[in-house]
Amino acid sequence: MTPNPILGAYGMSYRRSQCNEGMRELILNDVSFEMNRGECVALIGPNGSGKSTLLKLIAGVLPIHKKQSSGQVRYLGSNFYQFPPYKKAQSIVYVAADLWAEFPLSAYEVVFLGRTCQEIGWYHRHSSENERKVREAMDRCFCWHLRDRNLESLSGGERQLVALARALVQGAKVLLLDEILSKMDLNHQAMIGQLLKELTSQGWSILLVSHDINLASEWADSAILLKEGKKILQGPVEKVITQELMERVYPHSQLRVGSNPATGAPKVFFSGRS
Amino acid sequence: MVRSRVVRAYILGFSVWGAVLILAIKIGAVSDAGFDLIAQVRLPRVILASVVGMGLSVSGAALQALFANPLCEPYTLGISSGSALGAVLGLSFGLEWAIAGLTGTSFLGAIFFAGILLFLSRRPGSTNVTLLLVGVMLGFLGNSLVALWIALADSNGLQGALVWLFGDLSRARLTGSLYVAILVMVLIFFIWIQSRDLDALLMGEEDACALGVDVPRARRRIILLTSLLIGTCVSAAGMVGFVGLVVPHFARKCMGSLHQILLPFCAICGGILLTFSDSIARVIARPYELPVGVVTAFIGAPVFIGIMLKRNQVHDS
Repeated sequence: MTPNPILGAYGMSYRRSQCNEGMRELILNDVSFEMNRGECVALIGPNGSGKSTLLKLIAGVLPIHKKQSSGQVRYLGSNFYQFPPYKKAQSIVYVAADLWAEFPLSAYEVVFLGRTCQEIGWYHRHSSENERKVREAMDRCFCWHLRDRNLESLSGGERQLVALARALVQGAKVLLLDEILSKMDLNHQAMIGQLLKELTSQGWSILLVSHDINLASEWADSAILLKEGKKILQGPVEKVITQELMERVYPHSQLRVGSNPATGAPKVFFSGRS
Repeated sequence: MVRSRVVRAYILGFSVWGAVLILAIKIGAVSDAGFDLIAQVRLPRVILASVVGMGLSVSGAALQALFANPLCEPYTLGISSGSALGAVLGLSFGLEWAIAGLTGTSFLGAIFFAGILLFLSRRPGSTNVTLLLVGVMLGFLGNSLVALWIALADSNGLQGALVWLFGDLSRARLTGSLYVAILVMVLIFFIWIQSRDLDALLMGEEDACALGVDVPRARRRIILLTSLLIGTCVSAAGMVGFVGLVVPHFARKCMGSLHQILLPFCAICGGILLTFSDSIARVIARPYELPVGVVTAFIGAPVFIGIMLKRNQVHDS
């Protein structure tokens, strides 16, 4: 159907710079996948399976030696790594697991920094367009009321809301979200999940890293399962979150895969305590 | 940041600065001071104190943002040690030539150390942390070489070097001060136009990258500019301590962390602090002069501790 997927990553590999005994040398081993416009893909897998590394590698935010990494990222068919930095930030935006600043910045200022890549020249324009976009994004992410609060004084979940708002004002249509829902309460998980659905229906594409398989299965259309740096499977969530695969990826826990009676999304339950 | 508050802070800053300038020119042995003394000795000194204070505090603010580290100051990267080494070597070899008010060998030393840093920052995969550590090590190396040289050399000839190491504004001459002033202003302007990159770097390297900043290039540019600025200040006035660490924190407290409005305010505050400290150092123990670094530390340290304690209170509540 679509000639060019909005995001394609091919043969992504990443090597540890120093390798001690007992560590695997390749953090990522030849991972390839494609994402279409308007898709929400969950990236799941155990600790250390390379999820976050994959995200950072795609966004190009890892400070890397050429020798350490290989692979190609294509954005609508063109080579993403050759984009100039501001163009990269306008195309694909990476949202880190924690938003952090060493010096006092208000939530509004942080979201405003998201406009950096959209501005030409060297000064911040407090133009009405910028201000409107910031207001809009903060409203959408339920954090407008936090605008004057210092980033330091916000809770983890509130910071994640601010981070998401900042990502939205950058104007990029591909969001790479690293554990964005992890510190939010149930209310906000539901609200942001709903927002992610809305965004995908408006043409955004989302790659969502999550430890919480049950959350991921609720909001994502499809999933990519990673284990020890290798892609096990990519497909619709019902095909990926199955009894057999979960047992294979998480061998030390007794799991049972069922489904959410209300939505039908596959869920993982503990089946026993040993 | 509310615009009217920014305007008010700037107006206040400029008026205090003006008052301090007048005070600094007037203070001292006024009775026997004719116009000549003021024009030839005191005015250059006040100009030099102002611009060195400005330069040090702006470079401190920029480095703190670049490394996202509140403990950074102009002397963290070891540029100043290069400068000190150059000065000591120059003095003991009798190479006391000066270009436009700068001690030539000292400036060359700073450039040399900055060159090493910039060369290392070009290596792929080098992060801010590695660069910071390399800078600190360069600083130690430079300082110990200075100590070694002073220990080995004839002590009489190096008395001047020791005074200079604690900051010495008494050698200011009119043309020299004006050249230094122009150079510092130009460099501050070039650092100021990096404001947006500096803002993004406050969020850390990865985030700055995600925000669309070309981090390696921004880093090289900022290091180059701050090194030139530090080299200029140190070779003109010696190692004036504390201004570059304290003033940025104070200015952030008043103006927030966005550099477009922070850096000029930082410059004004730095100018005020150093001019004021220098006047005090000049008159408080007459006929002797205290090293100006001692006075900046005496004024700066309590203020700094106060700010930090207050900040923690806010954070806890």
